[in-house]
Amino acid sequence: MDLSVLAAESGMSAGEAFSISSTGMIVVLIVLIVLAVLVLLISKGVRAAQGKGKQTEEAVAAAPSASAAQSAAPAPAVPVVNGAPLPENQSAGQLELYDCDEKSAAVIMAIISNESGIPLNHLEFKSIKAIEE
Amino acid sequence: MSVFHALSELLQKSGFLSLGWQNWVMIAVSFVLLYLAIVKKFEPLLLLPIAFGMLLVNVYPDIMADPLMLSSYEGEVVEGAHWYDTGVLRLIYSGVKSSIFPCLIFLAVGAMTDFGPLLANPSSLLLGAAAQLGIYVAFIIAVCSDMIPGFEGFTAREAASIAIIGGADGPTAIYLTSKLAPHLLGPIAVAAYSYMALIPLIQPPIMRLLTTKKEREIKMEQLRKVSKAEKIIFPIVVTVLCILFLPSVAPLLGMLMLGNLLRESGVTDRLSDTAQNSLCNIVTILLGVSVGATAEGKTFLDFKTLLIIAIGLLAFAFSTAGGVLFAKLLNLVTRGKINPLIGSAGVSAVPMAARVSQVEGRKYNATNFLLMHAMGPNVAGVIGSAVAAGYLLMLFE
Repeated sequence: MDLSVLAAESGMSAGEAFSISSTGMIVVLIVLIVLAVLVLLISKGVRAAQGKGKQTEEAVAAAPSASAAQSAAPAPAVPVVNGAPLPENQSAGQLELYDCDEKSAAVIMAIISNESGIPLNHLEFKSIKAIEE
Repeated sequence: MSVFHALSELLQKSGFLSLGWQNWVMIAVSFVLLYLAIVKKFEPLLLLPIAFGMLLVNVYPDIMADPLMLSSYEGEVVEGAHWYDTGVLRLIYSGVKSSIFPCLIFLAVGAMTDFGPLLANPSSLLLGAAAQLGIYVAFIIAVCSDMIPGFEGFTAREAASIAIIGGADGPTAIYLTSKLAPHLLGPIAVAAYSYMALIPLIQPPIMRLLTTKKEREIKMEQLRKVSKAEKIIFPIVVTVLCILFLPSVAPLLGMLMLGNLLRESGVTDRLSDTAQNSLCNIVTILLGVSVGATAEGKTFLDFKTLLIIAIGLLAFAFSTAGGVLFAKLLNLVTRGKINPLIGSAGVSAVPMAARVSQVEGRKYNATNFLLMHAMGPNVAGVIGSAVAAGYLLMLFE
C-alpha cells in the first residue's frame, strides 16, 4: 500500500503503525550512526593533519634553538614563600572567590590539580565564581 | 441613563459574565504555571511567557480574534474586516504558523550550542537516537486511540504530529505540526513547551527507576579537547548528510547548522552574538506568549486536547527511558565507563535535559560533573528529533 495514500486515510491499523514506528527508529539510528562514523573520520583526519603540521613546525624550530636550549634553565619556577620553596600540595597568593566558600574552592583546586596531573604549586588560580543553575 | 443602568451595562460587558468555566480553569492552570516558573524556577524563560499568554487569552479571548480566518479552524470570516482587526497575539502567532519562529529559534540554538562534547564522544549520537523512542511509541498509542469508546481516533497525520512531542523539541514539534495537522498546533505546542519546561519534574523519577545507585555514582573520564577545524567541518557535514537523506528537514537543520557555523567560524562574532542573545530573546518572547495564547479555554479544553497532553507526557517518559536504557547498555559494553544518567539527556531539550543529568549525578556523587558528558547526547537529540521529524514528513506530507 502506498504510504502517501495511507496517510490521507483517516485511520491506520496498529500493525501498520508498529511497522512505521520500527522503520522510523531504524532510520534515525542509521542516520546518526553514519554521522558518528563521519565524526570519527573527520576527527582522525584533522588530528593527523594537525599532527603533521606540528611535527614540521617542531623540526623547523628545533634547529636554531638547539644551542640556546643548552643554556636555558631546565627546571620550572616554583614559588618561594618565607625563603623556602612551596611544597607540591600547597598553593600561595591571592584568590578571589565569588559566591563560593573557601572549602569548595579548596576542593575545586585539588580536583583540577589531580585531574590535570599538575602539582598545586605549579598552578595559578585567579578567581572562582559560582554559576547559577 | 441611570447609574444602575450604567453599572449593569458595565457588568454585562465585563469579562466576569462573558467568560466560560473553561476560561476560569485555564486561568487557574496559568497561575500554576506562573508559580512553577517564578517560585520553582522551572525554565522561567520559556514557561513564563507561555503561562502569561495563556492567562491573557483566557481573560480576554479577543486578543486572539481572527476575523479573516488567517489561522483559525472554527468560526467564519467577518464581512468588511481588515487584517488590522485581527487580535494582536493572532498576528504574532503567524510567525509560529509560518514556521518562521521555529527556524529562527533553531538558528539561535545552533549559535548557542557547542558540539564539542559530541565530537569528543561520537557514541553520544547513539544516545540521541535512542531517546527518540518516545516519538514512535506515542505514534502507535495515538493511532490506537480509536479503541477508546466514543472517540473517533486520530488520523495518521495527527498521530505523527502528536508523536513528535516525544522529541522534546518545541521548534521541531511546531514545524512538523504546521505541515501535517495545523489545526492541532495549539495543544501540541503547549504540550511540547510545557513538558520541556517541566523536564526537571518529569525526568528524575524515571531516571531513578531505571538505574541503580551504583550506576548513578559512576564517574566519567574527562573528554578530549576538540580542535577548531573539527567544529567548523561538523555543521557543514551534518547539513549535507542529513538534508540529502531527508530533504524535508532542510529549513530546521539548515538554520541550526548555520547558527553553529556563525559561532564556530570565528569570523562572524557579531552575527553569532545577535543570534545567541537579542534574536533568541525576541523570538522566545513572541513564540512563548503566542503559543500560550492558543490555549483558550472554550476551544482548548476538550477530550482530544487532554488526550494529546496525556500522550505527550507518555512520549516524554518513553524518550527518557529509551535514552537511559541505551546508556545502560553502553555502560555494560564499555564495562562501567558510561553513567546511564546521561542517557536521559538524549531528549533534545537543550540544555534543560543535560542540566537534569548533572543535578541528579551530583546527588549521588558530589565530585561528579556530568554536564559536559550529557551535552553530547543532548545536542545529538536535537539532530535526532529533526531526523525523526523528517522521516514523518517524508511519509505523511
